[in-house]
Amino acid sequence: MGSDATLRPLQDLRPVYLLGSRVYLRAMVEADKERGAAWLDETFPVNAARAEAALKEEHRGWGWRRSSRRLAIALAEDEEVVGSARVSSHNGYRTCRLTFVMAPWRDDADALRAEALELLVRWLRDENELMVVTADLPADERATIAAAEALGMVRNARLREWFGRPGGRVDCLVYQALNPRWEVRDA
Amino acid sequence: MRSPLLVGERLYLRAMEAGDAEVIAQIDAAETDTFMWRSRVPTSPMEHVDSITEMYKHQPPRYIWLAVCLKDGDRFIGNVGVVDIDWLHRTGETASQLGPAEVRGKEYGTEAKHLLLEYCFDRLHLHVLTSEVDEPNTRSAAALAKQGYRPAGRRRWADVKDGRYVDALVFDLTRAEWLAARDAWRARRAAGVTPR
Repeated sequence: MGSDATLRPLQDLRPVYLLGSRVYLRAMVEADKERGAAWLDETFPVNAARAEAALKEEHRGWGWRRSSRRLAIALAEDEEVVGSARVSSHNGYRTCRLTFVMAPWRDDADALRAEALELLVRWLRDENELMVVTADLPADERATIAAAEALGMVRNARLREWFGRPGGRVDCLVYQALNPRWEVRDA
Repeated sequence: MRSPLLVGERLYLRAMEAGDAEVIAQIDAAETDTFMWRSRVPTSPMEHVDSITEMYKHQPPRYIWLAVCLKDGDRFIGNVGVVDIDWLHRTGETASQLGPAEVRGKEYGTEAKHLLLEYCFDRLHLHVLTSEVDEPNTRSAAALAKQGYRPAGRRRWADVKDGRYVDALVFDLTRAEWLAARDAWRARRAAGVTPR
């Protein structure tokens, strides 16, 4: 997939501050419509036309004025899109919530998501000065949970039996990174 | 009653209609309580029409709001709903808004919520629901507990109230717990005990 000539210019879109050892995050581009199944969190199958419509819908308005912003998670090695992370906020990015979608065919999705989480939390909490970064994580995504805890995120809630899995269900663990640079008078 | 979906003792639930938008805006304008949210906000019937219209554009819908009506007089008194529905994982977040203040304190909220939960669990076959309230909103938190929801934790610094950042209290309710809570509620009502 990395030899696709149409993806070569994407290297120019790599944000130097969202680049990890295995993955990086970048803005979505029109060419991503060809890989909708890797990044679009829809219930039913996604073809290129549907993915293109979703991209256009999600790119109405400029940057942080949008209440939600999706970033592609791509392999640093060959540009393959392996998922997406959506940063959503209902309060002008005082706080935000992260939602991940990973390509269903990747056996290493948990590890890739874990690295994406590390990049995102550092960027959002430490550079963008958000007060709270929240990630709702399935309890069976162990690498991502370990990364969250290594980042200093705290598990503040557990929604029982939240995610369906073949033959059972797993809890949703609500992890939050509180920005220590904010001086907050707690209630 | 106008096309009821679920019928209780004193209330029924029906689909929202664009014509409800005017009353919702009137309820918002007449709001006397301030403890439930950061502040009161004047709303326009136009935005409610848009929300109602948007709901029916998607099948299955991403969120469902149902009109709560008094059987006596067929009066619309607010709505209950389930939002952020995940049709694969069978989850959602419930919410409600009844008004004006004169209709509160009469157990309409509990009855409406029981009808909503019946809709969510027995008709939509959702598996688990969540609900959140700002920490100072002790009345809504107590109502959730009475309806069978269990504390699941909190989301920190979720909003602002009285010059402080306040947490949102998170609750969840599984289908099995709902069935038990429903049976207990029905038994109390059959015995003539007014749940408070």
